[in-house]
Amino acid sequence: MKKTILALALVAVTGSLFAQKKTTTSATVAFDASTAIDNLPKAENKTVVAALDPKTGSVAFEATVKNFAFANPTIQQHFNGEKWLDSDKFPSFIFKGNIIDPAKVDFTKDGSYNTNVEGSLSIKGVEQKVKAPATIVVKAGAISATSNFSIKLTDFGISGAPIDAGKVSKEPKVTVSADFK
Amino acid sequence: MTPDKKKTPWMKRVLWSVFVLVVIAAGIYWYVASEKFADTNDREAVYTVNALDFIREFHESDSAANAKYRDKIITVNGTVSAVEPADSATMNIKFVDTTTGSYVIFAFQEQHVAEAKTIKEGDLVSIKGSCSGGTYSEILGVEKIDFKRSALNKTK
Repeated sequence: MKKTILALALVAVTGSLFAQKKTTTSATVAFDASTAIDNLPKAENKTVVAALDPKTGSVAFEATVKNFAFANPTIQQHFNGEKWLDSDKFPSFIFKGNIIDPAKVDFTKDGSYNTNVEGSLSIKGVEQKVKAPATIVVKAGAISATSNFSIKLTDFGISGAPIDAGKVSKEPKVTVSADFK
Repeated sequence: MTPDKKKTPWMKRVLWSVFVLVVIAAGIYWYVASEKFADTNDREAVYTVNALDFIREFHESDSAANAKYRDKIITVNGTVSAVEPADSATMNIKFVDTTTGSYVIFAFQEQHVAEAKTIKEGDLVSIKGSCSGGTYSEILGVEKIDFKRSALNKTK
């Protein structure tokens, strides 16, 4: 009897953990627009809010544009300026999407799962569809996720002389990583 | 008879001018490219605030609070609510207003990451950093205020 109650309790706890939306306020988004002639336009934001719902496969993140820390003050100032990201007016990068094949990821079983995520990315008030490969690792009940993809700056209405001159990449690399609670 | 040095051809002057301009441009580029952010500990805070009062100010009106604090060096004093690893190498510190769930979070400057790792939940600390402003998180349904390049100011 005791064993049955214990087993049922374990199933209930596992089920509730599986059903809960997982979040973190310390996900990381790295942005690398460096080129062969300029290695300065790259930065990292380590206070990104991210969410993953194991039940539905929905994923989301919000990154405060001004919290991307550059090594160089002038590049950071340009990045946030009106001509580039205009971060006073558009304070966040927002992604909302879904794991394309959630059935292939078993959130109750330890393992590393390669999958794809598709959704809408909003930068500078412009929304674009994005599809990216992602790796989800499940270990002892903890879930972590990483994704690497590129974006085209022109898709988000971002252009300028430094891009034309090859000092800023036309297609910066974006890396997202999150350890969910 | 005119001395030889007064007979400098115009082409030579143009080339010298171009050379001087190139040297100046290279100097400016080198200065900008090698520029770094100062150690936050060496910068003076524009405001020193209590963490909960600070969060409540953003919660009441983030536009007014952003106009006041954003892009400025701020010292925030309070009791640590959470210590969160952002990745394997770094640690973020959070102060949370438990009545609303709104929070302020600090990412640390590279040279101050080690001291961030010594901070524990419940510690009374003073943190100085560059305020990136507050935004409403649709994911969490709370106000969040981000800081970058932070440093542990002192243990209160």
